Amino acid sequence: MPFTGAREGKPEDASRRGRLEPPIKTKASALATRKELSDFLAEVERRAYKQALFAIRDDHLALDIVQDAMLKLSEKYSARPASELPLLFQRILQNAIRDFYRRQKVRAMWTTPVSALFGADNEDEHDPFETLEVQSESKSLEPPPDQLARAQVLGIIEKALEKLPARQRQAFLLRYWEEMDVAEAAKVMGCSEGSVKTHCSRATHALAAMLEKQGIKL
Amino acid sequence: MTEQDELARRIVKLLDESAEDIGRAQRERLSAARQAALARHRAAPLAAWAPAWAGAISRFTEHRAFGVRYLIPIAALVLGLASVVYVHSNGTSSDIADIDAGLLTDELPINAYLDKGFDSWLKRSPR
Repeated sequence: MPFTGAREGKPEDASRRGRLEPPIKTKASALATRKELSDFLAEVERRAYKQALFAIRDDHLALDIVQDAMLKLSEKYSARPASELPLLFQRILQNAIRDFYRRQKVRAMWTTPVSALFGADNEDEHDPFETLEVQSESKSLEPPPDQLARAQVLGIIEKALEKLPARQRQAFLLRYWEEMDVAEAAKVMGCSEGSVKTHCSRATHALAAMLEKQGIKL
Repeated sequence: MTEQDELARRIVKLLDESAEDIGRAQRERLSAARQAALARHRAAPLAAWAPAWAGAISRFTEHRAFGVRYLIPIAALVLGLASVVYVHSNGTSSDIADIDAGLLTDELPINAYLDKGFDSWLKRSPR
């Protein structure tokens, strides 16, 4: 049976990511209200940030990309029905990530020869404790060894996701984390449904192999 | 559910937890970004055929009278058309056209034949 995106104890449709509950008595083409847009963005913003972070591996740039995607969605697509927001937002986000890769490639073409000539030994010194975040209180009830084990497993999973090829990671996150069906993921990625299935399958196998190598069994 | 889907589900569950646990600075930044995006939300969006820069004008004029954002481009268009008509209706080009037409139809003014230079030019020319 294929992955349906159903959450535990919830009906499938109601649990789908970013899918807004249709308000009573609205036409299919009803425009997204400010409240609906706000709810939608609040629901997806953290996952969007994480997605950008896995792809770009820079905290500030990831936040910039999510902010740009939000602004673009609000400015250009407020005329669209609320039900279309998840797909539109993902498309904008994925395009923004791809644009970043392109810009980075062009920049690298110029900066690599220049830095080779003049040297690049001006790395900022920083205190690692400055970036240390205090754990949120939600996990404080869990015993410290369990918290540590969970954090370690999570760290390994996140590293494994970062190491995946971009298309595989994109397909995996859209399909399983954003709970899009194959057709929706294909639309966002601009490829065929068959490619999405292949990328997903490869991504899952690669993740399983990486976890197994680290001796982790989920 | 296949083994692959099951593994994906477990990974996603952990990812959900990590997304909930992002730092305070990131949470605040995302919230600020959301507020900025909502501030640009328009209840009645621009028509698709409206000029792209009309949006910028409309932000200044949206509380004014009807259609100010369309009035400026339409006024510019009318002014442009009027100036084209004015230039074409001016006499300079039509004078040259009259002389050309006269030469082509052999309806030369008498002064042309009295001009000695013209006469010698006619003799020197092959036809």
